[in-house]
Amino acid sequence: MARFLAQLPRRSFLLLMLFGSVLITLSSLSYFDFGARPFFMIEKMPLRFEALWLASLRIHVATAIVTFPLCLVLMTRWIQRRPALHRSLGRFTGYAVLALLVPSGVVLAFDAKGGAFVSVGFLLTGAIVAAALVLGIGAARRRDFVAHRRAMNHVVAQMSVAVTSRAMILGLDRLGFEPELAYVVSLWVPVLLSALVAELASGSVSLKRIGNEISPFTVLARDRAPVRSVPRAGR
Amino acid sequence: MLPFVPSLAQADETIVDWTRNRVQEGLVKPLSKLERSSFSRGRPEPHERRVRVLQMMPSRDKKDRAFMAYAIDVRYGNEWQQNDLVGCAYRGSGNLYVKLGDEYRPAGFLLGKDAEPVPDACVPAAPPSA
Repeated sequence: MARFLAQLPRRSFLLLMLFGSVLITLSSLSYFDFGARPFFMIEKMPLRFEALWLASLRIHVATAIVTFPLCLVLMTRWIQRRPALHRSLGRFTGYAVLALLVPSGVVLAFDAKGGAFVSVGFLLTGAIVAAALVLGIGAARRRDFVAHRRAMNHVVAQMSVAVTSRAMILGLDRLGFEPELAYVVSLWVPVLLSALVAELASGSVSLKRIGNEISPFTVLARDRAPVRSVPRAGR
Repeated sequence: MLPFVPSLAQADETIVDWTRNRVQEGLVKPLSKLERSSFSRGRPEPHERRVRVLQMMPSRDKKDRAFMAYAIDVRYGNEWQQNDLVGCAYRGSGNLYVKLGDEYRPAGFLLGKDAEPVPDACVPAAPPSA
């Protein structure tokens, strides 16, 4: 029971993200109607490089539809107990993300709604994914599975922004937020929070330790130390 | 004598009403019916749209065709955003155009139809030089 409860947050997250991935897939099918421009594109027009943008959108979405669920599968204990399968799937997913998802995302970032501030947000999330993947692949090759796990937590965390960001846009719209502001908030908050959660999940950062370090009592205790340490001269 | 003079004000109102109705039926209603996924990074469907006709008298383009300029405002929450879309409606043909960037395209473009920019659409002809 204790083990089940301990695994529950992780399993819930994976299931929720899988559900979100399905919703995104269904909502993206119209992008592949080659006889029409998707509405998502029309509302951004005029675009400087229309054909490049549309090709990037299709590559980005098609790659994400495949690689995000694969990333979620790779996080499961079931696949992690099968190293050969984990390696094959991992290689395919990693190379697809690095060769297709990230570059197409970079192209799309420059025409993002909300201007430069949003473009930077998209470029940041892409940079985290790319850097974490490269570091994670390297760590796996060195058989440093702790570092590999930490890196892949960041990859999945940033890819989960696709789901959390859209959910936030929906939620903020329901609350009557202005769309432009909602878009900016719905990007930056998930990107930054996801990075923080990935670090916490990896155990390399502990909120308790941070809390202890910056606690006013700790600071006070240091300042009011009654005896200063006296350097001892060697004899 | 005066009651026999046709009221120009009435005619202008008629063309304004015609333009408003034409844009409402030809663009606003189809846009509202457009199936858009809610789980998307696309802009959410506005809570309301309204049509404003920007002139009382029609302009004429280079081919002497009469058109009326319009704007569509959108509302999110309590805030109205003006000029979300601008364009023109041609009185004779009933064709609607929307401005995207510096070009005017047939309004069907916003509904997913393939439509190239139309040069000189919605551009008033230069007044004849004296």
